Amino acid sequence: MEIKELSFAYKHRAPIINGITTEFQKGKITTIIGPNGSGKSTLLGLMARNYIPQAGKIIVEGRQLQQLKAKELAKLLAVVHQQNEAPYDLTVERLVAYGRLPYRHMFSQETEEDREAIDWALEVTKLAKLRRQRLHELSGGQKQRAWIAMALAQKTSVLFLDEPTTYLDIFYQIELLELVKELNETYGLTIVMVLHDVNQAVRYSDEIKVVKDGSIIAEGAPEDVMTVELMKQVYDVKAIIRRDEETGMYIVPIAVKA
Amino acid sequence: MTYIAAIVLLIGVTLYAIRTGSIKVGLAELISGLLFGGNDNVDVIRDLRFPRIIVAIMSGAALAVSGVLLQSVMRNPLADAGVIGISAGAGFVSVLTVMIWPMLFFWMPLFSVIGGLIACFLVYTFSWRSGLQPLRLILVGVAINALFTGLNQLLGFRGGIAMSTANQASSSMFALKTWDDVKVIVLYGVIGLIAAFALSTWCNLLALQDRTAGNLGLNVMRARVIVSFVAVLLASVATAIGGLIAFVGLLVPHISRQLIGTDHRLLIPFSAIMGGLLILIADTVGRTLLTQTEIPASVIMTIIGGPFLIFMLMRSDRVHGN
Repeated sequence: MEIKELSFAYKHRAPIINGITTEFQKGKITTIIGPNGSGKSTLLGLMARNYIPQAGKIIVEGRQLQQLKAKELAKLLAVVHQQNEAPYDLTVERLVAYGRLPYRHMFSQETEEDREAIDWALEVTKLAKLRRQRLHELSGGQKQRAWIAMALAQKTSVLFLDEPTTYLDIFYQIELLELVKELNETYGLTIVMVLHDVNQAVRYSDEIKVVKDGSIIAEGAPEDVMTVELMKQVYDVKAIIRRDEETGMYIVPIAVKA
Repeated sequence: MTYIAAIVLLIGVTLYAIRTGSIKVGLAELISGLLFGGNDNVDVIRDLRFPRIIVAIMSGAALAVSGVLLQSVMRNPLADAGVIGISAGAGFVSVLTVMIWPMLFFWMPLFSVIGGLIACFLVYTFSWRSGLQPLRLILVGVAINALFTGLNQLLGFRGGIAMSTANQASSSMFALKTWDDVKVIVLYGVIGLIAAFALSTWCNLLALQDRTAGNLGLNVMRARVIVSFVAVLLASVATAIGGLIAFVGLLVPHISRQLIGTDHRLLIPFSAIMGGLLILIADTVGRTLLTQTEIPASVIMTIIGGPFLIFMLMRSDRVHGN
């Protein structure tokens, strides 16, 4: 996936994305980080075609994003948003079945393939036993997994996650990131996600892209990108960076003034 | 199960409605009269009561389904063709046209749809910038409704030629419905209801956020326009033939959701049955309650609908949470 000279501004506002050019590697986990308002979620939204850029282009699987039909796009990439709304009586199974809609026509029946994709998505997200439960009865972590299952049922090669851990307890945060890792390692999914927590980004990513004021100011392997200087430049904090035998690199912000 | 109960109830009430009224006949007499003729009472029932019953059922079904569609497309449980001015717009444009060109009477449903579309378009235009925010949309709708209701009354005050036609679309009188009315409402109504059912998957997706629906391959803008159009068609045809009836599109979908859930594949047909049932009951009660005169179904619906709306507002915080 490639991005060229991408710019975007919300109506009557200052531009939030300023001519970004970058590339996302196939089969890897790439994480976009940056402070609030930096444009990191907007960048992901543009790549998911939730917004239309004012300039530049995005190329997915060799094709221009804007020229794809809605259903074609939904077969190429799936998106899990930070916050979701659903009717109060929607069951897990019906939600996951929505993931098959890009493959259905107006009156077509559920096929064997649909069935298998739904079962697989429920299995991978460990929701098989909860399939008949209502979404609203699930815990925060289970709910988020259900939305991921819906995205998985789309059987795309690319999965986007917008701050998937923000509203979860630590247990569910780690559980979710382990799931993301498994999806990447076992099923070869290309993952692009936005994360808030720099340490989670370091631990679970092959590549990190750091966004500030609508531009990518650093990108590459976590070990190379994350430095004391960068933490100062991006978040305006003084941080110490240490290495641990078990976890590898970790970052501790210790003061607001350097 | 709930489905079967609703269908049985609808058939039961229909049979009761056919037999009851100023002329009463037995079931056997009715069937033999219909099949072999020669019974004056049955002929009267066939020419006067049958059309009225069919129009009542179709109007109710169309208005209820129109409500379901509008609620889904506007993501707002309070959206209803009557509340946001679509019915009033439909009534106004059709009556105005027929006043100016009386010979266009046959095309009244068409002008009705145009009026409904104008009203719907206005509501969207004025609430679009706030991102179709529920409360704003309803307030804009109430204002549009007030505007068209006022214009309707203006036409009514002009009297004379207006009165004969204006009555039809500005208050609902199911009496004096003919088989021609039945043909129109059944034709457009059935087309609209089938279209609505075909759109049920889209309606389900519109209940999610726009971006989620978009990522699932739905062209959200196109879906909104098409679903709105079908909703306006249903409401306008019901208004053109059955007249203005408020609250059906609010009451019926709400009750139906409680009984059958929010899956539109089930909700749309069920609301159609319940809507038909409700208006048929209202009309039958209206014409049998007092022997000397008739209470229009619209009056009965307004009297039930007002308190129900308050009840719904009080409950909605508790049940749905959002």
